[in-house]
Amino acid sequence: MMLVAKAALGMGGALVLAGAYTFHEGVIRVDVDEYCAGGSHIHMWVPAAVVPMTLHLVPKHHLREAAERAREFLPLTHALIKELKKFPDADFVEVTDDDQHVQIRTHAGKLQIDVEEPDQNVHLLVPLSTLDDVTSQLELSAPGA
Amino acid sequence: MSSLKRAKGARTQSLFTKGALLTAALVLAPLGAFAQATAAPAKPAQSTSSATPAAKGERWLHVRVICNDAKGETVRVNVPLELAEKVLPAVNHDRLHDGKVKIDSAHVEDVDLRVLMDAIRTARDGEYVTVQGNENDVRVAKESNHLIIHVVDKGKGGSKNSQVEIKVPMKVIDALLSAGKDELDLVAALHALGAQGDTELVSVKDRENTVKVWLDSKNVSD
Repeated sequence: MMLVAKAALGMGGALVLAGAYTFHEGVIRVDVDEYCAGGSHIHMWVPAAVVPMTLHLVPKHHLREAAERAREFLPLTHALIKELKKFPDADFVEVTDDDQHVQIRTHAGKLQIDVEEPDQNVHLLVPLSTLDDVTSQLELSAPGA
Repeated sequence: MSSLKRAKGARTQSLFTKGALLTAALVLAPLGAFAQATAAPAKPAQSTSSATPAAKGERWLHVRVICNDAKGETVRVNVPLELAEKVLPAVNHDRLHDGKVKIDSAHVEDVDLRVLMDAIRTARDGEYVTVQGNENDVRVAKESNHLIIHVVDKGKGGSKNSQVEIKVPMKVIDALLSAGKDELDLVAALHALGAQGDTELVSVKDRENTVKVWLDSKNVSD
């Protein structure tokens, strides 16, 4: 029984540490619903901390290629994300008409993009810190960095 | 005696075991709650159209376009001036570099904008241009350190087709022209704009659209 208790404590501790590390940056949420015949319904829920970790596993030449392609936009993206972090809850763009709604905003330190149309809904929620991490990694992977 | 000790030891062990399991459960419980809380925003948050005062000193530039057609499309853009000031220098595209935009001298038809604006700035308040025609009314004036441009397009029938009102603080124009020749310093203009009070900068009304550009301290448009 003592052994079980020790194992439970150990497992509990490990789970807490792993959970805290996984969730400390929040989650990335992607929801895509296509309301048509054969339309896809994608609902993805990924711990944000996984993304920078995964980037470390991506072969260097792929990252270099991605950085090369995004090179023109990286300084702008970096500056934008850095500034957006100062505005954790704000509506930036909203487009509405009688059957569509597009919104770009920050909510609790996450970039939220919502597109609602009669035939499809797309909702994206990404922590700004994750975007910052990805941009930084791409900048570091750029040739000559 | 020894059986008493054994019984006591067993009770202590059992107590410790229960304590350890309880601790593990207690420690894990907030994690589950945290995971649920993190998952909560899955449902897209509804638009917060209520006006929220921004942090002290924050200045927001708002653009609102309302189409008057059947679909009634509305576009709202809210940009913190601080964000625009920091991000604009990072944009290097076409004529825009380091927060400054190059102007084609051919387009201003040899008019020295700097000299023109200097003349307006040093002049007294008053109306500089007033044109009243069958098709257009144009008024350019300087009032309380603001340059005011007012254009009414009457159209061919004489009925009001469109109306444009632009009100720009002179300090913003000065900042805009503070860059080198053939350049407009957008970042300096935004910085100067940030020092201004709440003001409506542009208003355009025509049959199809209503456009309004204004500055205030709220982080959402009305």
